[in-house]
Amino acid sequence: MLSSISKKLGPNGQRVAILLLVLVAIALFFSSQIQNYLTPRLFVRISTSVSIIALISVGQAVVVMTRNIDLSIGSVVGCTAYFLGGILASFPDLAPVFVVLLAMGIGACFGLVNGLLVSRLNLPSIIVTLATLALFRSILVESSDGSSITTGSLPIWLIEFARQNMFVVGGFKVRWMVVIALFVVFSMHFFLTKFRAGRQFYAVGSNPDAAEFSGINLKRTVLQAFLISGALAGLAGFMFLARFGNITVVAGQGLELKSVGAVVVGGVNIFGGSGSIIGVLLGATLIDLIDTSLVRWELVSEFWREAILGLLILFAVAMDTLLARRLLGGRKPNPSDKEPEKTKLASGRVKESST
Amino acid sequence: MKVWKVSTLAVCAALAGSIASAETAIAQKGLEADMVLLPKFLGILPFDQANQGAQEAHEELGNTGDLLYTGPTPENSVAGQIEIMTTSASQKSAAVMLSNNAGEQIVPSAVAAQAAGTKVVTWDSPIPSAKGESLFIAQVDFGEIGVVMADMAHSILDGEGEFATLSATPDASNQNAWIAAMEEALKGPKYAGLKHVDIVYGNDQSEVSYNRALALADKYPNLGLIMSPTSVGIVASAKAIQDEDLCGQIKVSGLGVPAEMVTYTMNGCAPEFALWDFVDLGYLTYYTSYMLATGQIEGEAGETFNAGRMGDYTIEKDPTRDAGLRVLMGPFTVYNKDNVEAAAK
Repeated sequence: MLSSISKKLGPNGQRVAILLLVLVAIALFFSSQIQNYLTPRLFVRISTSVSIIALISVGQAVVVMTRNIDLSIGSVVGCTAYFLGGILASFPDLAPVFVVLLAMGIGACFGLVNGLLVSRLNLPSIIVTLATLALFRSILVESSDGSSITTGSLPIWLIEFARQNMFVVGGFKVRWMVVIALFVVFSMHFFLTKFRAGRQFYAVGSNPDAAEFSGINLKRTVLQAFLISGALAGLAGFMFLARFGNITVVAGQGLELKSVGAVVVGGVNIFGGSGSIIGVLLGATLIDLIDTSLVRWELVSEFWREAILGLLILFAVAMDTLLARRLLGGRKPNPSDKEPEKTKLASGRVKESST
Repeated sequence: MKVWKVSTLAVCAALAGSIASAETAIAQKGLEADMVLLPKFLGILPFDQANQGAQEAHEELGNTGDLLYTGPTPENSVAGQIEIMTTSASQKSAAVMLSNNAGEQIVPSAVAAQAAGTKVVTWDSPIPSAKGESLFIAQVDFGEIGVVMADMAHSILDGEGEFATLSATPDASNQNAWIAAMEEALKGPKYAGLKHVDIVYGNDQSEVSYNRALALADKYPNLGLIMSPTSVGIVASAKAIQDEDLCGQIKVSGLGVPAEMVTYTMNGCAPEFALWDFVDLGYLTYYTSYMLATGQIEGEAGETFNAGRMGDYTIEKDPTRDAGLRVLMGPFTVYNKDNVEAAAK
C-alpha cells in the first residue's frame, strides 16, 4: 500500500510528505517536553521567523539546483539591511514599494558579482562565495564606520510593518511578512516547475552537456540563478530591517548555514538537478522549529544548543534519507545514487568545454 | 565566595599599609608612543564613542606617534583579537588598549606582548586572571553595576516578580562579572521578592537577541522583566517585546545607549536603563596608557595621576578580581523618561 501511495506522490511528493511527518513528530516531541508549547504564539513565532529564512533558502535552492552554492548569502542580507537602513534614514519619504524594489536591487547587485565571477571566469562557486562572504562583510564593517542602524532613524511604517497582521483567526496572527514570503515561495515553485525559463535551472544542474546541446545557455542560466538568489536575499534584507530594526555589522551572520541546511533538509540534491521549492519551505520551517524550541527546552543548556541543533539537523537528514529509501523500497539501486561520481565527471566536462 | 571575600579584604589591608603617599603625576605632552585601541569588535556605537574619546586625548597630549583604532570583525572576535595583539607587539607598539572578548585565551599573546615591551591596558572588559595585563580601566565598579541592575529590576517590578537576563556572549568577562555581582546583590533582603529565573545569550547579534527575548517571553508566562546588560541585547529585546504587544506585561532594562533606547523609554517598554560615558572611558584609557607607555607612571597600586579634563585618578588593587590593578572611572547614569531625550541628542 505504501508503495502505491509513494508512486502516486512521486519523489518530490514523498519528500514533502516525509517532511510534514517529521515536522509533526518534532512538534509533538517538544510539546511533551515544554509547557504551553502548542499555542497560537508558537505559530506566530515560527511563521514570522521562517518568512525571512524561507526567502533566502529558496534563492539558495535555485543556485544549488545548478550545481553551485551561495555561501555569501548571510553577508548579502546584512549588507542590504544595513545599506537600506542608511538610505531610509536619509530619505524617509521613499514609497514603500520602491523601498522593496530597491532592496531587491541591492541584493541583486551582490548576486551579480557572484554570478559573473562564477559563470564568466569559471571559478568554483564554493570558493567565490566563500570569498565574497568575507568581502561583503568587510565592506559593510568598513563603510559603516562603527555605527549601527537604529529603529529611531527608520520610518514608522517600516517598523510597524513587521507586526502588521493580514488577518487574525483565534490568536493565530498571520503577518503580512508571512503572506509576502509565501507568495514568493509559491510563485518560485510555479515558475520553476511550469515555465521553460524555470526548468532550465533543473536542466543545467542535472546534465549540463545535454542542457547545452538542447540550446540552453549555461553561463546565462548560472548568472540568473545567482541574480535570483541575490534579489531574494535583498528582499529578506528588507524584512530583516523591518523586523529587527537595529542593524549592526553582524546582521545576518550565519544565515548561509541555515539556508544550506534548509535546502538539504528540504530535499534539494546538493549535486544539482532536482528538488522542490515546497520541500525547501518545509526544510526551513523544520530548522526554525527546532531552533526556536531548543531555546525553550529545559534539558539543554545554552552551551549545548548549537551542538544539538547540528545533531538534530543531521538526524533529520538521515531519517529523511532512510525513510525515502524505505518508501522507494525494492527499487534497484538507482542511477541517482551514483550522482556524486557523475557530477564530478559532468562538471569536469563543463569546464573543458568552456575553456 | 566568603573565603574569596575575606582573602580580598586581607590583600586590600596589606596593600593599604604599603601605599606611600605618592604625589600626583602630571602628563608630559608631546612624547612619541604608537598606540593601538582594540575593541571587542568593530561596528557598534559604544566602541566608536570610546575611539572618539581616545582620539581627543591623543590630540590633547600631542602624541607624535600614531593612534590606530582597529579590531576584528564580530564573527572573528576571539581569534582576531589575539592576532591583532600579536601583530601590535611585533610592530613594537608602545601600548595596546584592549576590551577583552577572548577571556583567558588572550593571555599568551598579552604576556608575549608585555615581554616585547608593549604595555597592555584593558578597558571595558578585563582579562579575568589579569595575566599579561598592566592595568584595567574600569568604567564603574563591577560590584556596583550588579547593585544598580538589581535596583532597576526592583523598581521596575515594584519589588515583586520574575525576571531573566539576556547577556552578550558566554565568554564576555565583563557581562559575566556583572551578572555574578547582580546575583550576589539579589541575596539581600530588599530583593527577596525578585526571582531571577534564567540567563540566555544573544551573542551581541540583534536577531539572536531578538529571538532569545521572545523565547524568554514564551518560556516564562509570569516574566515581568528582561534585564540585558549589553547595548545590542537591550535594544533588540525592547523591539521584540514591542513587536509582540507585550510591553504592558514585560519590561526591558539593563545597559544601553540613550540614542538607541530613547523611543522605548518614552513609550514605557524600557522605563529605566543605565550606562556610563564611553567617550570618557576612551579618554581616560588613552590618558593612562600614554603615561604608562612613556614611563611617566609605573602602573603600581597607590600611584596617583592627573588625566586631563577628567581630574585625578589612583591606581588600586581590583577588588572584583582575584588579581590585577584597576583605575576606576565611574559614575554611571540611570536613564528614564526625564533625562533620556537630552542624552540621546
